[in-house]
Amino acid sequence: MISLFTDISQEVISGIALGSIYALIALGFTLIYKATEVVNFAQGELMMVGAFVNFFFVTQFISSAGESSLWIFFVALIGSIIFAVAFGWILDFVINRPLKDEPIFSVIMATISLSIILRAIVAMIAGPMSLLPVSPFGENVIKIGGIVISILDIFIIGSAIILVSLFYYFFNKTRWGIAMQATSEDPIAAQLMGIPVNRVHALVWIFSAIVATISGILLAPRMSLLDTSMGFLGLKAFPAAVLGGFGSIGGAIVGGIILGVIETVSMGTLSFHFEWIKEINDIIVWIVLIAVLMVKPDGLFGVEKVKKV
Amino acid sequence: MKKIIGLFIMLGLVFVGCGKQAPTPGVTDTEIIIGNIQDLSGPMKELGAVLPSGSNVYFRYINEAGGVHGRKIKMLVEDHQYNPQKAVVAAKKLIEKDQVFCLYHVIGTSPCEALRPILAETGTPLIAPATQSGTMSDMTRPAGNLIFHTDTGYDKQMVILVDYILKDNANAKIGIIYQDDDYGENVLKGASEAEASQGISIQKEAYQRGATDFAGQVGNMIKGGATHVIIAGVVKEPIIVMKTAAAMGYSPKFFGTSPTMDHRVSLAAGPAGEGFISANFANLWNSDASSAVKYRELCAQYEVPKAYMGMYHFYGYITAKVLVEGLKRAGKNLTRERLINGLETLNKWDSGAFPPITYNSKDHAGTESVILVQVKDGVQTVITDWID
Repeated sequence: MISLFTDISQEVISGIALGSIYALIALGFTLIYKATEVVNFAQGELMMVGAFVNFFFVTQFISSAGESSLWIFFVALIGSIIFAVAFGWILDFVINRPLKDEPIFSVIMATISLSIILRAIVAMIAGPMSLLPVSPFGENVIKIGGIVISILDIFIIGSAIILVSLFYYFFNKTRWGIAMQATSEDPIAAQLMGIPVNRVHALVWIFSAIVATISGILLAPRMSLLDTSMGFLGLKAFPAAVLGGFGSIGGAIVGGIILGVIETVSMGTLSFHFEWIKEINDIIVWIVLIAVLMVKPDGLFGVEKVKKV
Repeated sequence: MKKIIGLFIMLGLVFVGCGKQAPTPGVTDTEIIIGNIQDLSGPMKELGAVLPSGSNVYFRYINEAGGVHGRKIKMLVEDHQYNPQKAVVAAKKLIEKDQVFCLYHVIGTSPCEALRPILAETGTPLIAPATQSGTMSDMTRPAGNLIFHTDTGYDKQMVILVDYILKDNANAKIGIIYQDDDYGENVLKGASEAEASQGISIQKEAYQRGATDFAGQVGNMIKGGATHVIIAGVVKEPIIVMKTAAAMGYSPKFFGTSPTMDHRVSLAAGPAGEGFISANFANLWNSDASSAVKYRELCAQYEVPKAYMGMYHFYGYITAKVLVEGLKRAGKNLTRERLINGLETLNKWDSGAFPPITYNSKDHAGTESVILVQVKDGVQTVITDWID
């Protein structure tokens, strides 16, 4: 019995770490959706680009400094975030602004094209071979009872909690955050009320690129190899965003963690004790998603929206 | 006047019809055009760039020496993004529009399986499909007579690995971690054959393609008490599995099927990957095997980028060698049928890299053995001869 408890706790911890990655990607989806009602299908690719840019900075700095140190990783992180700010701003300028008054559908299509283009560009620049990410965390783990958790996973979970709290505070308590919500509700009225809608849109794209870059930096060492297929993880995080309630910041982290835990526990203990679980492992996430949507159509934390036409 | 013109047209048609046999597609007096379908922009695009480059090293070498019976080989490459439907579209284009002589080294089990109908319909041979699935050499499937497989199947690899483990330790408890798709299906087929012949039971844990977390599977191996774990993954999976196990303080002996035979596994897994044994269907690119020596020589001569050189690049090179051998044996008057007959005369033929290859009209499997490669002090070292 005790061992069963340890096994499940171990899987839950791993699931929370995996789920925190999903949560960070879902947070990126949510930020853009909250302010512009656009679903950015290139979110996974933004993460991938962030991871590659950080890799570039780290290897450049290490080769010019001649040795690896924590400072190098810190400076590379700052460099990557500065890149993310510029990148998010450019994307808003290229994708969002020209299509502002077009149907939302056009913008969504543009983000799908963007995802394909980003994968192709990164593959062209970085070459076809996957890279070995360098991380300051190494293989260090800590043990609590019989449960093992890596330092990297602690950082992943911590970053998810901190970023989600920051954005939760930002959206609900600050003027800019409330302005963003207003923009999403009714862009024209918001503009008339003096909210600089264009600047608000640019800001959410920048935020989203920053969150994506941080999650890419944390995910790369967890995946052991860095290649453009990392972008596909965006599609795995999409149900997390829906489960939590699209547009809800708290929902992103809850949805992400629920999916992460379901994935590891069903692959682990559940599959071990019930042979038939193995047959449905790939659809179990979707079963949970549909079940939740049947009871709560707006997701766990979604707010029912009534739009007057 | 019209009647006379009509007569000339008729006569012309008759001459064209009788003058010569219908020419073989893709074959002229100076050239043989072959088609290759790779994943250039999908999940396995990394190999898509490397494999044809390796093949072209050998084709260039042959072409510079005058070609095969005076014909130079030209390879057209299409993209299928690892999507079976797109593979069929690409094959249609290559066969109907580009009129290729044969298809060669098409990557992926599912894409190759999807090509069977079009191969059968057009009589186009497929030489050396780039997959180790044992289904490729199943002669009872459509177009089975047109496909020549060079690699030892995953099912056979499983049987060999289980046999090796039990010889090493008769009380071994074996577990496998497999990918839940066509690849895994072929692995499981081998596992159940091994279970039946050895009278043992193997613990089986699945993962989804693209998985990044293996805590559940590794935890199950601990619960099941597996002492030997075979990882039927690609590159990321063995790395993450072994690192996860090391973190959990679990240290069984780890083994892997041929796709895990990638030097990056030991690079990325570090100390956790020490001792990892993988099965391989060909000699190592950096070994003393005759083809490997020649390969390195040519790569240096043609200034191939260092990043490309490795097992997959070499794989492209040695399969090209098998195709060229078939073309040589087909003789001067090249037809598809003569290529098939030519390949079917290979009898324990030594390519200098693969185990001896034998084809005949009833068997297109080519090889049935592997060598085992172990990571020792971070370096891949061959630890057995060919075993089957």
